[in-house]
Amino acid sequence: MQDTPLGAFETDFWKDAAQRQTWDEIIPGMPRDTRPYLLTKEIIATFAKAMGETNPLYFDEDYARTTPYGGIVAPPSIHILLMFACTGTEDWMRSPGTINASQSWFYNVPARPGDTITMQGRALDRYMRKGRLFVIHDNIFTNQHGQVICTGRGWTIRPN
Amino acid sequence: MTSTAPEHAFATIAEGDRFQGEAFTPSRETIKRFAEASLDFNPLHFDDDFMAGDFGKTNFGGVIMHGMQNFALVTRTLTDWLIPRGGYHRRLETRWLMPVKPGDTITPHIVVSEKRQTEKGRVIAFDVEVLNQKEERVATGRAMAEFPDKLPVAPSDRPAA
Repeated sequence: MQDTPLGAFETDFWKDAAQRQTWDEIIPGMPRDTRPYLLTKEIIATFAKAMGETNPLYFDEDYARTTPYGGIVAPPSIHILLMFACTGTEDWMRSPGTINASQSWFYNVPARPGDTITMQGRALDRYMRKGRLFVIHDNIFTNQHGQVICTGRGWTIRPN
Repeated sequence: MTSTAPEHAFATIAEGDRFQGEAFTPSRETIKRFAEASLDFNPLHFDDDFMAGDFGKTNFGGVIMHGMQNFALVTRTLTDWLIPRGGYHRRLETRWLMPVKPGDTITPHIVVSEKRQTEKGRVIAFDVEVLNQKEERVATGRAMAEFPDKLPVAPSDRPAA
């Protein structure tokens, strides 16, 4: 585990690589192991800043309360972090060489500071096309009220 | 019926309206910052030796920027345009066509492709293209936004001040 601005995290994706499911082993429909993640104001600010966001809606509670959002929210793109934050080192999305081919995301309600986010994820399909091994997956993120934050589908090219 | 701010903003938007995002030039430093904030430490983005090899039929010839950095840049372009107008970012899909490398400069270009009033909503669709400094398309996509009278925000758990 290494120190990162978001806390201790295993940044060496080669470690435990052998334990992850390969393209041959991934079973569409089987849920990925996930854990809840507590989203804080500091995490939202760190993420938003790194994405180049400048809207005070993501940083300044006094300002955010004057907006129709009623307080700080996370940028919609927060799921980029949530996917890694809610999964463990055994998750096949960490396999070195995993290439992102396409993603589609739908946003329901924004995530807020203090939310405990839960992820449900699984592969939906896997196939070979023009010599490349693809997996289609989907993710659903919900908050502690059971409200859907966002849903996404992705196409990744798997390492051989 | 009184017209609401989002209704007014929606009325002023026309199919064919265009806007673009801020140009972004990734470097090894921005890649590191993105990884630290997203926890995506895939060696595609760091490991020169690994990236010297072939990936099936593909050879990237060096480390590449996270595709999701591109996605986040498009998201920011859309939300920076929508939020001041009372619009709500609903959807974004992107396809990555070419890798982006340190030193490239990419810029999102957005066009309002469709606008319609549904039974209960006001909906806008966008076509998205991200071009590099050679005007090559590195990503394409589609997005969607709504202009509701009341934003679909979750209740804040924090007590009101």
